[in-house]
Amino acid sequence: MNQFGILFHKEWRENLRNYKIFWIPIVFILFGILEPVTNYFLPQLLDSLGNLPDGAVIELPVPKPEEILQAVIGQYQLIGMAILILAYMGTIAGERRSGTATLLYVRPLSFRDYFLSKWLMASITGIVSVWLGLLAAYYYTFLLFNQVEIIPFLQFAGTYSIWILVVVTIVLAASAAMPNAGLAAAVSLALVFFMQIVDSLVGAYWTFSPMKIPVYAVQWLNGEPDLSDYWWTLGIAFAFILALLFFGTGMAKKKASTAKV
Amino acid sequence: MTILEVQNLTKRYGEQLAVSNLSFALEEGTATALIGPNGAGKTTALSMLAGLLRETSGSIKWNRESGVGFLPQHPHFFPWMTALEFMEMAAKLSGVDSKKALAQSKKTLEFVGLGSVQNKKTGTFSGGMKQRLGLAQAIVHEPKLLLLDEPVSALDPTGRREVMDLLKSLQPDTTILYSTHILNDAEQMTDQLLFMQQGKLVEQGSLAEVKERYAEPCIRIRFQTADQASAFAGFVSLPASLNGSTLELATRGDGGTAMKTVLAKLAENAEGVVGVEQKTVSLEEIFIKVAGGR
Repeated sequence: MNQFGILFHKEWRENLRNYKIFWIPIVFILFGILEPVTNYFLPQLLDSLGNLPDGAVIELPVPKPEEILQAVIGQYQLIGMAILILAYMGTIAGERRSGTATLLYVRPLSFRDYFLSKWLMASITGIVSVWLGLLAAYYYTFLLFNQVEIIPFLQFAGTYSIWILVVVTIVLAASAAMPNAGLAAAVSLALVFFMQIVDSLVGAYWTFSPMKIPVYAVQWLNGEPDLSDYWWTLGIAFAFILALLFFGTGMAKKKASTAKV
Repeated sequence: MTILEVQNLTKRYGEQLAVSNLSFALEEGTATALIGPNGAGKTTALSMLAGLLRETSGSIKWNRESGVGFLPQHPHFFPWMTALEFMEMAAKLSGVDSKKALAQSKKTLEFVGLGSVQNKKTGTFSGGMKQRLGLAQAIVHEPKLLLLDEPVSALDPTGRREVMDLLKSLQPDTTILYSTHILNDAEQMTDQLLFMQQGKLVEQGSLAEVKERYAEPCIRIRFQTADQASAFAGFVSLPASLNGSTLELATRGDGGTAMKTVLAKLAENAEGVVGVEQKTVSLEEIFIKVAGGR
């Protein structure tokens, strides 16, 4: 029987029983709803909490629905990514450290299937969470403001899903390469956030990099990104993911002997 | 037939030699006890044989297709998995046909005495239950070679006896190599003894051979008082040593003749004699002698 199926079944069960498959989507949905709702109630909030003098009139421009979805991505880029990284930082490093990996490694294990089963599980959780969160945001934005065109929305969410794959792949490869979950998280957070900052500071000199995917995703909402840049960026992102999958598999195998016996 | 052959197996961590030039062979169907003090390199050696650690140098020759089962000293399980779920996964990963894996898992859990808790999560298991589950996962695919690191050390005396009996019942279909520091257990089930110290194999052979090598044949006579013991020492010509009211007579070589002589002397001067025995050397005494001799 193929090992991928056996190992994926194990990952599925684990994510079900430690509730990751429930709470991660819930967090993304909450942040998806929060953005349109707070925007909608902002004038009332300012009125009641703002301690403004009587008679002061606040005139806020009504945000465009696209701007609200963009703000949701802003939340995901910080809190969402941190949650995904923290949730999956111990996927491999933690198993090695606790010793649970030993009884797997002692069998004729395919480390490719081992790594890919974990990667697929984390990817599914991440992408499903983001889609549910964005759909919730889409729905509440529609209720409280206005409708965003469906096609641009799908292009936007689809593009952002590829970014999720990039992040998930980084955290899993780090978990395979690092001696413990904390270091795996530190490396992943550093890569994801630091590289984004670098890209936004000096990234003006190049137009395609995996770090620009969230920017291009948002651009679909307001027209379309430069398609040549866009496809190049996706191509490089897929190459980056593929390279990290090979790297992660190799590291999982190489570091197998560090599992606690 | 030799099932496993190890030659000059060495593991080096930086400057430190954890295992140094280990060479031995396992005959099919035999049980081999790997003994030695803490830190002798037993776990490192077993980990290399199980394929968990890469050796620095040397070779391990055996037929991988015949399958190996490994029980680490402290097996760790996924606490959210039930015993049966874990066994089924372990069986399938070890190549048991997926149709047979469930039945095979249940059968093995019954065998180690965990049949009634097969649907309980392993996170709730006691140390003894984990040890049994560890044994079950090592044998679920019916491997020809079983490597066990301290299989009974964590168990109480009853549990130890039960697990040793389980292991014995696996023979002779399974070749067993197990480490232990409980020498009583080693004496119970061993065709070959490997004695490791500071990473090296310092003693090797069958239990009888090793005992023979360390035997210091002597006749031990216990008296009621020390005076009676020293008085009797004057009647025999054998080299005597007194230890309180116990007299030990070194026999050198033919113990039978010496025993006859001693008994004849005792027949005349039996005052205060409590017991007479031909002293045999225990594995524990050998252990202390070998381990302390460096």
